[in-house]
Amino acid sequence: METEEQIQAFRRTYTALRSEIGQVIVGHEPIVEGTLTALFAGGHVLLEGVPGLGKTLLVRALSQVLDLSFNRIQFTPDLMPADILGTNMVMETPGGRREFQYQRGPIFAHLILADEINRATPKTQSALLEAMQEHSVTAGGEIRKLAEPFFVFATQNPIDQEGTYPLPEAQLDRFFFKLLVTYPSGAELTEVLTRTTEGRRAEIKRVLDGAAMLEWQDLVRQVPVASHVKDYAVRLVLATHPKTNTAAPMANQYLRYGSSPRGGQALLLAGKVRALAQGRFNVSLDDVQAVVHPALRHRLIVNFEAEAEGVTTDQIIDQIVKDVPRDAAVAA
Amino acid sequence: MSDIQIIESVLEQATTRRRWQRAWRALWLGLLIGGLVWFAALGTYKLFPVPPALLPMAGLLMAIFMMAGFLAGWWQKATLPETARWLDSRQQLQERLSTALELEASGRSSEWRRLVTADAARHAGQVDARRLLPYGLPKASRWTLLVLALSAGLGFVPEYRSKAYLQKQREAEVIRDTGRALAGLTRRSLERRPPVLEPTRRTLEAVAELGDKLGKVQLTRNEALRNLASATERLKEQVKDLAQNPSFKSLERAARNPGTSGAASSAELQKQIAALQKSLANQPSDTGALDQFKKDLQKVKEAAAGLPNESSAGSEAARNELSKALADLARRAQEMGLTLPSLEEAIAALSASRIDQLLRDLDVAAVDLEKIKALAEALGKLQLQWEKIGKDLAEQLEKGQAEIAASRLYKMAEQLRSGNLPQEQAQKLMDEVSRAIDPASKYGKVAEYLKQGLKQMQQGQRTAAAQSLAEAAKELERLLQELGDCQALLASLSALQRAQMCIGNCQGWGQCQGPPRVGQGGKPGRGVGTWADDNDWMIPEITERWDNAGLERPDMAPRGLTDRGSGQLADNLAPTKLKGQMNPGGPMPSTTLKGVSIKGLSKVDFKEIATAAQSEAQSAISQEQVPRAYQGAVRDYFDDLKE
Repeated sequence: METEEQIQAFRRTYTALRSEIGQVIVGHEPIVEGTLTALFAGGHVLLEGVPGLGKTLLVRALSQVLDLSFNRIQFTPDLMPADILGTNMVMETPGGRREFQYQRGPIFAHLILADEINRATPKTQSALLEAMQEHSVTAGGEIRKLAEPFFVFATQNPIDQEGTYPLPEAQLDRFFFKLLVTYPSGAELTEVLTRTTEGRRAEIKRVLDGAAMLEWQDLVRQVPVASHVKDYAVRLVLATHPKTNTAAPMANQYLRYGSSPRGGQALLLAGKVRALAQGRFNVSLDDVQAVVHPALRHRLIVNFEAEAEGVTTDQIIDQIVKDVPRDAAVAA
Repeated sequence: MSDIQIIESVLEQATTRRRWQRAWRALWLGLLIGGLVWFAALGTYKLFPVPPALLPMAGLLMAIFMMAGFLAGWWQKATLPETARWLDSRQQLQERLSTALELEASGRSSEWRRLVTADAARHAGQVDARRLLPYGLPKASRWTLLVLALSAGLGFVPEYRSKAYLQKQREAEVIRDTGRALAGLTRRSLERRPPVLEPTRRTLEAVAELGDKLGKVQLTRNEALRNLASATERLKEQVKDLAQNPSFKSLERAARNPGTSGAASSAELQKQIAALQKSLANQPSDTGALDQFKKDLQKVKEAAAGLPNESSAGSEAARNELSKALADLARRAQEMGLTLPSLEEAIAALSASRIDQLLRDLDVAAVDLEKIKALAEALGKLQLQWEKIGKDLAEQLEKGQAEIAASRLYKMAEQLRSGNLPQEQAQKLMDEVSRAIDPASKYGKVAEYLKQGLKQMQQGQRTAAAQSLAEAAKELERLLQELGDCQALLASLSALQRAQMCIGNCQGWGQCQGPPRVGQGGKPGRGVGTWADDNDWMIPEITERWDNAGLERPDMAPRGLTDRGSGQLADNLAPTKLKGQMNPGGPMPSTTLKGVSIKGLSKVDFKEIATAAQSEAQSAISQEQVPRAYQGAVRDYFDDLKE
C-alpha cells in the first residue's frame, strides 16, 4: 500500500475509532483524542479524575473497539506483584509428577486497565515498571515477553487520598500521557443521562486489531519532523529543568525536577499522531504545543513553594509555553 | 515547474519583498529615533544655553540613524529556510514549507519527501507575497511624522536665555570681535612696515597672537582683560625703553610737521617754486586780493545776467552802471598785474549790446582767475614749506628733519667722493658740517661721525670723510626706523587700550573709539577726582604740547596760584561728614568709572589701600591740586578712612 493511501487509511481508522468510542463516551474529546494518540504512539496513559466520570468506561470502550485482549486489575492495598505478573505454582503432571509451572498474571494481555493504581503499595506499583517499559515480565528467573501491542491504562482518584500511595516518579515517567478527566458540561451530562437511563445499550464494533495497530505505530514514526520543530520540543523540555541556563523563570521558582527525555519523545510522537490525524504529512509547532500538557504535566515535580501556593504543573507549563518562543529565528 | 521550484520561487519573492520591507521599516525607525534625538536636542537648545552647533549635529545624527536603519534592514538578507519558517508562521502553513525545504535539502529520496513537498507546493501556490508584504508606511512613520511636526512647531518657539547668559554671549562676541580686529590691525601694521628691531617685531607678533587667541579661544571677560593688561604692560615697558632716546622728541616733532617729513630737499623745493613762478609769469600771487577780485567779478556777472531789455525803462542806466563796474574791474586788474583778456572782450560785448557774449566772456574771465588763484596758492604752500625746511645740515638737524638731513649727508658724501670738488666748496662743506656737530649731539653717534668726517676733511682724506658722512646718514636712518618702531608700538598700545575698553564696556570694536585722548585743551590736571592718563609721558605729541616754555599769553592772566579767599563755600556745597561703618568682609564701596572695570576680589589689604590713598591725597593737597575749599574735607575723609 502506498504511503499516501496508508495515511488516508490511518485517518479513516482514527475517525472510525473516535466515532465508535463516541457512542459510549459523551464529550471528553481531549481525553478520547489523548487516549487514541497514546495508543497510536504506543504509549501508556494515566487517567486522573474524580470517580464516576467515565474513566473506566473509556478504557472498556477502547478494549471493545480494538480487537485486543483486555484485562482489568483493581489495585488494592493488599495486591501483590505476583497477583499482577503471575507466579510459579506446584502442578501435577499427567504422569503424576509435581512440578513448578508459571501461572500468568493479568498483565499478560494487550490492554491492561490498572484501576485506581494509587491504591496499591509502591512495591506492587513497581511491578509494572518492567512491563510498561520493556514490554516483558521477569518471573521465576525467566523473561517473558508480553504480547504486542501492549498498553497500560491506569486510573487514579485525586481525592480520597487516605490509604493511597502516590506513584513513584519512575512509574509516572513511563506513562506517555497523563489525562485529566474533568466534569462534563450540562449538555454532555444530559446526553450521558439519556444514554444510560433510556433505550438499549450501544453496540460497539471492533475497528482495529493488534497487527493493524502495530502497522499504524510504524507509520506514525515515519512522519517527518523539521529540525526547528524538534528544536522547539527540546527547548520546551529544557525550559522545565530548574537551575539551568535554559530554565524558564517559573520553572526555577516552582519546580524541583523537570521533564526527562521521555517527555520530549512524547511531544514528538504525539505531534506526529496529531499531524496524521489531521491529514498532514509533517509535524507542526502547533502539534507539539497541543500535546505539551498531557505529555509533560506528570513529569514535572513541583517544589514546596508551588504546593504551598497551589501552583499546578499545568500553570507552570502554560507559562513555559509563553516564555519559550515557537521559532527562535522567526522571533528574531 | 517542479514542486520544489514552485516553493523556492515563492520563497525568493517573499525574501526580496521582505528585505525591502525590512529596510523600509528600519529606515522609518531610524528616522523616528533620529527625530526623537533632534526633538530632544531642539528642546534642550530652546531651554538651555547649549551651543547652536548641537542642532546641526543632531540633524546629522538623524540622517545617520536613517541611513543606518536602511542599511541595517537591507543588510539582513533572510535565507530561504528562514523565509519558509516565517511564511509558515504568518500563513498558518503548519511548517509545511520549512519541512519540505529541509527534506529537499537532505537529499534523501522517499515517498514522504514527495508527499510533503507536493503538499507544501500546493499551499505555496496560494501565497501571494504582494498581499502578504505590501509596501506601505509602517507604524513608525506616524510617530515619526508626529515627532517631526512637533519639532517644526518647537522651531517657532523662541529660545529661553537668561540675562546673565545673554550678557556672557555678548561679552564673548565682543571678545572675539575685538580679538579679530586687534590681530588684523597688528598684522597689517607688520606687513606695511616690518619693524627693524627684533624685540619690537616679537612684541607686535605677540600682540597679533593675543588677538588670535581672543578671536578663537573661548575666554571669560576677566581672562581677556587680564591678558590684555599683561600685554599692555609689556608693551609699555618696551615703549618706555625706546622713548628714552632723546632724539625722538625732535624727530617726532618734525615728523608731525606737514611738509617737512618727506625727503624733498631744499633744492628740489626751489626748483618747484621756480617752475610755479614761471607759470604765473607776472600774475599777482596775493591770494587775498585775488579772492576779493573774484567776488567783485561774480557780482558783475550777476548784474550782467540780470540786465533788463533794451526797450525797458531803466535799461540805459543799468548798462551804464555795468559798464562802469567792468571798467573799474579792468582798471584794478591792470593795477594788480592781472592779465585777463576776456575782461576787455566783455567790455566790448557790452558796448555792442551783445549780452550773451558778455556773459560768456565773464565766465572765461572767472575761470582764468580761478587758475591763477590755484597757482598762487600752490606757490604759497611751497614757499611756506621751503621756509620750514632747514637750509643747511645744522638747521635740518636742529629742526629734527632727519630724513632731509640724511639725504643732505649722502649728497655731501657723494660730492666728496667725486674728487673734483673745488677747495672753496670743500671749505663750505666743512663749515656746514662743523655747524651741524652741535645739533647732531642729540642724535646718538651722528655727532661723532660728523666730527670724524670734519677731521678727515681737514686732513684732506675726502674718501674717508665721505664714508664718515655716509655713516652719519645711516645712523640717522636707523634712528628714524627706531622711531617708526616706537610709533608702531604706540599704535599697538593704543589698539590694546581700545581693546581693553571694548571688552570692559562690552562694546564692539566699531562702537568703541578707544581711550579718551587729551584734546587741544592740553593735559587734564592731576589730582583727586580726575583720571589722569598715565601714558602721557610716552606720547611725544602731548609732551610737545606741554612745552609752553617762553610762551607769553598777555590775553590770559595766570590763575594757578591766585588767592581765592579763605575758601568759603555756598551752603549747598558744604561737605557733609558721614560716619560710615566698615564691616569686615562686607562689600567695598565702588564707583563706576568709564573705562576698564575689573571685577573680582581685591587681594590687597584695605589698610594698605587707605594708606596709599591718604598719602596720595596729602601729596595732591600739598601741591595745591585740590581747591582750598575742599582741602579740609579731603583731609578729614582720608583720616576717617584710615581709622
